[in-house]
Amino acid sequence: MEAGKAKEGDNMTDSVVEIAGLLQRRTHFELGPVELSIPKGCVTAIIGPNGSGKSSLFRLMLGLSKPDEGSLHLLGERLGERDDASLMTRIGYLPEGAIELDDRLSGEAKAAFVRQWYPGWNEAVYRELLRRFEINPALKLGRMSKGMRRKYDLSLALAHQPELLLLDEPSSGLDPIAWKTMIDVLHRYMERGDRTIVMASHIVEEVRRLADYIVFIVQGRILGIYEKDALLASWQTMYADAGGRDLAWQQMPGYRSGEMSGGTVYKVVTDQAFEAERWLDAQSVTVINRQKLELDEILVQLTEQARGVL
Amino acid sequence: MWIPIQLNEQSAEPLYHQIEVQLRALIVSGQLPEGTLLPSIRELAQQTKCSVITIRRVYQDLENEGLLRTRQGTGTFVAQVDGQQRDNQRRSAVMTAIETAAEAGLRVHYTDDELIGMLREALLRMRPAAGEAEHGSGQGEGGRQHDG
Repeated sequence: MEAGKAKEGDNMTDSVVEIAGLLQRRTHFELGPVELSIPKGCVTAIIGPNGSGKSSLFRLMLGLSKPDEGSLHLLGERLGERDDASLMTRIGYLPEGAIELDDRLSGEAKAAFVRQWYPGWNEAVYRELLRRFEINPALKLGRMSKGMRRKYDLSLALAHQPELLLLDEPSSGLDPIAWKTMIDVLHRYMERGDRTIVMASHIVEEVRRLADYIVFIVQGRILGIYEKDALLASWQTMYADAGGRDLAWQQMPGYRSGEMSGGTVYKVVTDQAFEAERWLDAQSVTVINRQKLELDEILVQLTEQARGVL
Repeated sequence: MWIPIQLNEQSAEPLYHQIEVQLRALIVSGQLPEGTLLPSIRELAQQTKCSVITIRRVYQDLENEGLLRTRQGTGTFVAQVDGQQRDNQRRSAVMTAIETAAEAGLRVHYTDDELIGMLREALLRMRPAAGEAEHGSGQGEGGRQHDG
C-alpha cells in the first residue's frame, strides 16, 4: 500500500526517533528488522495486535532493554553510547501498567521523589494537571482507583514538560470524561509545535483524535508509517456494478479482496481508492457506493496478510 | 477560536480540499475579516479531527494564494482580499451550488425551462417578502413579482 505512505522529505526531515537495522531476538519472539523514523512536532500512533512488539519497542526506546543488532537515536543522541540519564530527563514515559512498588507512597511523596531527577519539572504545570484531572495527591497510590492512578501517572509524565512523550495504552482504565480531558491535555501539550508524542493504542477513536502519523506493527515487523488522513482516505470498500461482465478485479490498483455482493454488484476492497476509481471509470464500471475502512478494519486486513506471508 | 468547518467523512473529496474550499470561502466572503488570527495548526487539527499535516497543507496553500500570512511566533492571520478576488469567489461559490442542482435535475430528465422555473420558485420562497405567497405547481410562475 503505497498511497498515504509518508515519503522522505514529506515534513519528515526533523526526526525525533531514528531506528535503524534494529533486531531483538528472544526465545519465542523476534522483533525487527525495524527501520523507523518518527517526525518531530507530531503525534505518531503505533498500532498492532496483542503481542506484536509495541511494548518491546517502547522498552528499547527507553534503554530498558538492548537490541541484538542495530541502533536507536532519540532526540539526536544515540542510545547506550554514554550515560543515558540526562537524555531520559527530556523524555516522559507512561508505562502500560502502574508500578506496584510505589503503592505505599502517597501522590505527594512520589512527586517529591520524581521532581529531583528532572531539571524541567514545573510545579505549576503539575498542580494544574492534578486540578484538571481531579486527583487527590494525599492518597496513597495503591488506594487510588484505577482511573485516578492512571491520571496521576500521566500528570507525573507531563510535569517535567518532556520534549518526547511515550505513552503505552494511555487511556486504559479511564472513564469517558477523564478520557476527554486526557485528549485535551495532550492536544495542549502539543500546541507549541516542537514536542512529540509516540503512543501505542488499541482505541480507534483515540488514534483518530490524536494521531498525525500511524505506524503498523504486526508480528514484530513494522509495516510502514502513514499520514493518517491519507491512509484513511485510501482504504475503501467499493460496490461496483460491471453489468455482469467478467473483470480482472485483481488488477485493480490496490486490490485487497473482493466478492460478488448480489446481482451484478461486486464488493471490492482497495488501499488505493483514488487510482482504483479511475481504473473502474476506464472500464466503464459504475461505483454505486463507497465506504471508508476504519483503522481497526485496516489493521485486520494487514494482520491477515502478514500471517499469510510469514 | 472556533471556525465553522463541516467535513463530509464519506465524500470522495480529500479532507484537505474540503477544508481549503470552506476556509477560502470564509475569508473571501469577509466572514473572517482581514487581520483575524486563525487557530494554530494543532488547534484546527483538533477541531476538525484531521492531522496537522493536512492543516499545514491548507494554510500553506492559502498563504501561497495570498489569503493568509504567517508571522513567525505570532501565528497565522487573514490577509487583505482584493475586490476582484471577492467577486470571483462569490460567483464561483454560487455557481458550484447551482451546478449541483442542475446535475440533480438533469439526472431525472427535467427540461431547462422546468429547472429555471424551479430556481425561480425557490427564490420566491426564500425572499423574506415572499413569506405569505402560495406556491402550487411550481412551474411557469417566474414572472410573478412580490413587492411586500
